Amino acid sequence: MNPLVVERIVKNYGEKTAVNGLSLQVSEGEIYGLLGANGAGKTTTMRMVLGLIYPDEGAIRYNGQAYSKEQLHNLGYLPEERGLYPKVKVNEQLVYLAQLRGMSKKAAEVSLKKWLEQFEVSEYYGKRIEELSKGNQQKIGFIAAVIHDPQILILDEAFSGLDPVNVELLKAAVKGLRDSGKTILFSTHRMEHVEELCRNITIMHRSNPVVQGDVKAIKKQYPRERVMLATDRDVTGLETLEGVRYVTKHENVTEIGIASEDAAKRILHHAQGQADIERFELMQPTLNEIFIKTVGERHE
Amino acid sequence: MSKFWTVVGFTIRNKIKAKSYVISTLILVAIISVVVNLPYMIDKFSSDAPDKIGYLTASTEEATQSSVTPSVVGDQMREYFSKQEHPDYEFVPIENQNSDEANEQKLLDALSNGDIDAYATFEEDGTSFPAMVLHADKVYSETSKANMQAALQSIKTQFALQGLGLTDEQQTALFSQAVVDSVKVDISNGEAVADDTKEKAGALYGAVYLILFLLFMTIMGSGQLIATEITAEKSSRVMEVLITSVSPLTQMFGKIFGMFIVGIGQTALLVAAAAVNLSLPHNESALNNIGVNIKDIPLDVFIYAIAFYLIGYFLFATLYAGVGSLVSRTEDLGQAVMPLMFLNLGGFYIGIFGLNAADASFVKVASFIPFFTPYAMFMRIGMSSVPVWEIMISLAVLLITTFVCGWLSAKIYRTGVLLYGKRPTIKELRKAMKAYKL
Repeated sequence: MNPLVVERIVKNYGEKTAVNGLSLQVSEGEIYGLLGANGAGKTTTMRMVLGLIYPDEGAIRYNGQAYSKEQLHNLGYLPEERGLYPKVKVNEQLVYLAQLRGMSKKAAEVSLKKWLEQFEVSEYYGKRIEELSKGNQQKIGFIAAVIHDPQILILDEAFSGLDPVNVELLKAAVKGLRDSGKTILFSTHRMEHVEELCRNITIMHRSNPVVQGDVKAIKKQYPRERVMLATDRDVTGLETLEGVRYVTKHENVTEIGIASEDAAKRILHHAQGQADIERFELMQPTLNEIFIKTVGERHE
Repeated sequence: MSKFWTVVGFTIRNKIKAKSYVISTLILVAIISVVVNLPYMIDKFSSDAPDKIGYLTASTEEATQSSVTPSVVGDQMREYFSKQEHPDYEFVPIENQNSDEANEQKLLDALSNGDIDAYATFEEDGTSFPAMVLHADKVYSETSKANMQAALQSIKTQFALQGLGLTDEQQTALFSQAVVDSVKVDISNGEAVADDTKEKAGALYGAVYLILFLLFMTIMGSGQLIATEITAEKSSRVMEVLITSVSPLTQMFGKIFGMFIVGIGQTALLVAAAAVNLSLPHNESALNNIGVNIKDIPLDVFIYAIAFYLIGYFLFATLYAGVGSLVSRTEDLGQAVMPLMFLNLGGFYIGIFGLNAADASFVKVASFIPFFTPYAMFMRIGMSSVPVWEIMISLAVLLITTFVCGWLSAKIYRTGVLLYGKRPTIKELRKAMKAYKL
C-alpha cells in the first residue's frame, strides 16, 4: 500500500479544466517529480493532495484512506513562496506551526533545535524572519514543513531562488528525508534537480499528464539525437553528411544533431578520416530536452 | 479545541508584544490621564475674578436730570451682576471728569493700567433707552454679549414697568419664570419612573455616549487589525501553511477571539486609567459637579451594553475577516473595508444623533437594522423606555445576522485565502466557491 495514491483526479474551474485525469502513486522513500510549465495544473494538484480543494472526480488516498482532518498531521507542506510571518521570531512561529499540527510545545522545541543545527543556523533561533537572507528564510520555511515529522511531504519549488551552496544543503536534507522513508511529492521546473532526485515523474501540460513514469524508462523512449565529438584537429564537412541536422562548435567540443542513430556511425567514420578522436558520445536526451519537446510540441 | 486556543494565544502574544500596540496604549493612557485632570488644571490656572467693566458716573449736568441716563444704567448693571453668586462681570464706576476728552482719557488710563478689563459707554440713539458699547482690547464672545444683553433687557423692562405703576405683586407675577420639566415614564403603566432626576439623566447620557464611543472604537480598531493580519498572512503565504494545518474556521474565529481579548484588554486598561485618575482626591468633586454619579445608572443598561457590545463586535469582526481574506495585498485593504467602515460609522452617528432624539422614527427603524442595532437599540434602552419585545426582536435579528455573517464569512474566508491576484468580484467568488465545493 503506497502512502500516497492519486487516482484519475479531475478538477474544473467553471468551464476551464485545471487538472484532467491525473493518476500517480508515491511509495515510501520516494521523491516523485511533478513537472510542468506555469499554469499546467501543478499547484491545483498539490492543493488537492493537501485537501485544500476537493477533486471533482477521482480520489486521493493516504495510506489507503480517504482525506480527513486527521491527515493534516501527516502532511508537511512547503509553499513556493516561503510561508512565514516576517515579523515573528523563528522559534515562536515554528513552534506555533508545529503545535497547530498536533505537536507538543516541548517536542517542537527539540525538533526545531535539531533542524537548525543540521542547517548550521542555530543562531537564528530568536531572530525575526525579516532579518534573515532569502536562503536562510527558505531553510526556515523548509523546517516549518518538516518540524512535525510528517509522513508525506509536499514541496513546491523548494529550491527556487537559492544559491548553489544552499541548494546542495536543502537537497541533502530532502535526500535524507527520502532515505528515512518519507513520501515526497516534489514540483519544480529545474530539470537537473529532477534527474538527481526523482525516481518517477509526471510532466503536465495544459492540465493533462503527457509524460509519466520512471525517469530512466522515459529517457529510453526518446531517441538519442545528439552526438558530442572532440578531436585533436578540426573536422570539416560534417554538415554535408546524411542525417545531420545541425553542427554547433563549442569551445572544446562539437555538438551534432542527428535525425537517426545511423547518422552517428557516419559521423564517427567521417571524423576518423580527418583527425584523432578524443571523445565521441551518443548522448541520452536530458529531461530538459524531453520536457521542451513534449511541452513544446503540443504548444499549438 | 486546543488548536483554537493555540491560535488565540499566538494572536494575543504577537499583538501585545508589538511595539506599536504598547506605544499606542501608553499614549492613550497618557491622553486619558490628562483629559481627566483637565478640569482641575484649568481650575488651577484660571482666575475666577470677574471681568471689570468701567462706566462713568453721572456728570454734574446729568445728575440734575431724572430720566434714564448712562450712569443710572451703569449703576443698575453693577447691581444686577453683584447679586449673582459667581458673577462673570463686575461694573466699576469711574468718576466723571465733566469733559468728553478728559473722560475718555480717564477710561483709557484705567484700561491700560489694568484697573478695568473693559469699559462701557452708552449711546443715546433717540429712543428711550441707551445702547451699550463695550470697549476692550479683546472682542467679547456672543455668549458674553448675550449675558450682558439679558442684564440690560431686564433693567430696561424694569424702567418701563416703573412708568406703568404696577403693584409689587403684579411685577412679581410678570417676572416669575415659566417652568418646563421632563419626567421619564414607564410606558406600560404611564407612571413616572421613580427618582429619575436630572443628575441621573446626565449620568445616563454620559454613560451611553461613552459606551457608544468605545464600541465604535473597538469595532473599528479590532476590525481593521483582524483584516490587516489576515491579508498579511495571505500575502506572506503563511496562510497556505496555516490552512493545511488547522481548519479555516478554527483559524478565523481564533484570530477574531484573540483580537477581541486584546481589544477588551486595551479598553479595560484605559477605563482603569480613567478610574484611577478620577479617584485622585483633587478630582473627587469633578464628576459630581457635572452631575454624574455612576451609581445612578441602572444595572440593566450595563447588561444590555455588554450584550450589544459583544454581539456587535463579533458581527463586524467576522465581516472584517471575510473581507481581509479576499484581499491579496495590504495596500488594497483600505479600499476593500470602506463599506464596513461606513456601516460602522453610520451606526455610531445614528446612536449619537439619537441621544437627543431617542424617539425619532428613523432611529427606531435603525434599531432593528442589525448593523445599526448595537448602537441604536442600546442608545434607545439607555435614553428612553423601550418595550421588552422590541429589545428581544432586535436582539434576535442581530444574533441571527451575526450567525449568518459568521457562516458566510467563514465560507468567503475558506475560498478567499486561496485566491490570489486582483480582488475577486462577487461573481468570481461564487464561481470559486462552487469550484472548491465549499
